[in-house]
Amino acid sequence: MTTRREVLQGLIVSIGGATALTACGGVANVLSTQPGSAARFYTSTEYALVTRISDLIIPRTETPGAVDANVPGYMDGLMTDWANSETKNAHRTALGQIKAELDQRASGNFLDVSDSVAEQSLGSFDAAAFAEDGDASGYKRVKGYVSQSYFATEDGATEELKWVAIPGRWDPSVEI
Amino acid sequence: MAEFDAIVVGSGMSGGMSAKELTERGLKVLVLERGPEIIPERDYVDNLAPWESPNLDNVAQDEIAERYPKQYGGVAYAIKESNKNFWVRDDEHPYEEAEGTTYDWLRGYHTGGRSIMWSRQVYRLSNLDFNANKTDGYGIDWPIRYEELEPWYEKVETFIGIAGSAEGLPQLPDSVFQPAFELTDAEKALKAVVETTFPERNVIAARIAHLTDATEEQQSLGRSNCQVRNRCHFGCSFKAYFSSLNATLPAAERTGNLTMVHNAIVSSIEYDAETNRVTGVRIVDAETNEKRLYTSKVIFLNASTIASAMILLQSKSEAFPAGLVNRSDQVGRNLMDHVSGAGAAGMISGFDNQKVFGRRPSGGIYIPRYANLNGQDKPYLRGFGFQGGSSPLGNAGGQIAGIGRDFKEAHKNPGPWRINMLAFGEQLPNPENRVTLHESKRDRWGNPLALLHVTYSDNERTMQAEAIKDAVAMLEAAGCTDITTNDASLSKPGNRIHEMGSARMGRDPADSVLNSWCQAHDVPNLFVTDGSFMASSACQNPSLTYMAFSARAAHYAADLIADGTL
Repeated sequence: MTTRREVLQGLIVSIGGATALTACGGVANVLSTQPGSAARFYTSTEYALVTRISDLIIPRTETPGAVDANVPGYMDGLMTDWANSETKNAHRTALGQIKAELDQRASGNFLDVSDSVAEQSLGSFDAAAFAEDGDASGYKRVKGYVSQSYFATEDGATEELKWVAIPGRWDPSVEI
Repeated sequence: MAEFDAIVVGSGMSGGMSAKELTERGLKVLVLERGPEIIPERDYVDNLAPWESPNLDNVAQDEIAERYPKQYGGVAYAIKESNKNFWVRDDEHPYEEAEGTTYDWLRGYHTGGRSIMWSRQVYRLSNLDFNANKTDGYGIDWPIRYEELEPWYEKVETFIGIAGSAEGLPQLPDSVFQPAFELTDAEKALKAVVETTFPERNVIAARIAHLTDATEEQQSLGRSNCQVRNRCHFGCSFKAYFSSLNATLPAAERTGNLTMVHNAIVSSIEYDAETNRVTGVRIVDAETNEKRLYTSKVIFLNASTIASAMILLQSKSEAFPAGLVNRSDQVGRNLMDHVSGAGAAGMISGFDNQKVFGRRPSGGIYIPRYANLNGQDKPYLRGFGFQGGSSPLGNAGGQIAGIGRDFKEAHKNPGPWRINMLAFGEQLPNPENRVTLHESKRDRWGNPLALLHVTYSDNERTMQAEAIKDAVAMLEAAGCTDITTNDASLSKPGNRIHEMGSARMGRDPADSVLNSWCQAHDVPNLFVTDGSFMASSACQNPSLTYMAFSARAAHYAADLIADGTL
């Protein structure tokens, strides 16, 4: 089977000129926590919260959703391998506040309520967070992690954003 | 008997061009590079997809604090997990800042130097710039005018390849161009309004060292057209943007006259008082600490502005107790960069039904200098240009309201357009802005640390304050809303990575280090053709000018060797 890497190398040759084939760099070992494995940073409650929030923010539609793309595992890797202790603490505190806020809006444990109640609770919380000045709960930052992680996965980048490796041309004004 | 005709110290932007021109003249050339070798096939990481780098390709926060505090603080936009090896580790390559000052010394130690990480904007200087010191009395008069440099600009541009558009502006002479990257409709709208409302101002396509119509010569070096990926800071497997690693070093290599030695940190230059010639270069091997001497007929210093000055200061002898070719006491002084930080951005309406295809590299628009073109008409001396561009906001950062399908769908439409501009201004030459050798601190190879002392003057502060007002006025004229300005602070000295001036050229050996050929007044077989020679900074990105002077100096040196003078 031809790999994406081999296709790329072929393209570099076919476009002409480039005599040197790059090995495309060393493939980094992407350190997401795999589905089914225990989280390395999150507690089980935090992991469940991140999973449910991610699923509600970017659900499966005609294209894969955040959970399909293993966004919770990606974020667990991010917190384990990238974040310093200050960021870790801030993230943990934010998740605690978000959980408390969502529990209140859901009139129960946000992790246990029905999908429709959870969606309504997060929807109203999201609207409030973007209506206010600042980011008191840290929710916007968490949403940023969810979104950036999703679009950094192959599912999010290629299926949703239509990212292409080699555009090959510049068109400054494409009508939508 | 010298081992080489020429030694070039440094393999970056100017060193690569020196090596190319010298080897093509048939001279045997040794290039000394202080860092390790970069092999594109092995070390470029431009073909990694987003999902092939961990953690959003971010460098771990603790690692930044420990290893890259200065580099990352200066250019966070360019340093990622996958390409961090292109930047020096601050903990391994420290420097000192004079009390009360701060300096961003941003570096890459490897084949090609910073030419593999640069942002590739290239503009010629004009006689407005070469006359500037003489006109207002800051610094010393350039010993050269535009007409003498023009053919060397043409020669260099034809080789490196520049995408841009001919505009006929006297303050920003046209280069040899390949097709420009077309402006977006939002940029065209800004251009129309600005050029009508402010007749002395122009909005043009940024001029960038990217191939858009590769010549046979460029293709013969394995270079091809830009694929519009904007992965330039990671290397380019298509060799579409100019770097010495992509172009000048391969050109030098194919002459058969090039020898390259890596991990060779220059400690000093040998000087023979009897003949009044430099005779060789002493190095320490970065990996083994072995010390070696290489000899040659001529030496080109292209180690970068700060490092070249330090090598001269480190090369003390009876004849030059204050450092080689430093009788004028100007080595290390007049250190300049471009001053920036002033800018504005705003939302521009009318383009929400548009998006772009491709990821345009290195900016979109340039607004050439318009201040003080015909006499002094501003509350500051000299001027600045704006770099900028427009793009849809995009939503991938997640900072829009909504959840669920609507939120997800919002990413298919990139949203409203934002247009921005950032001033790059001239910094006046000031002999008190300088690099010296630290009195006691040394690096792990025994060489003194750089001690940097650079501050801005009122002229730079006033200029940047005015630049913000001008940027806002242009955005307002274009009907922009939600205009924001970044007026909190100026860029740190060094942060634009355009350092220059530490061995200025001039007519008088009493107040300058080099003559108009970048040749040391005091020692005729020593040339310095990196940014050190610059007598003023102008406001244009300087790499093109360094290369034009390097090519010119290389041919001059080759002539002197050919006629037996050197």
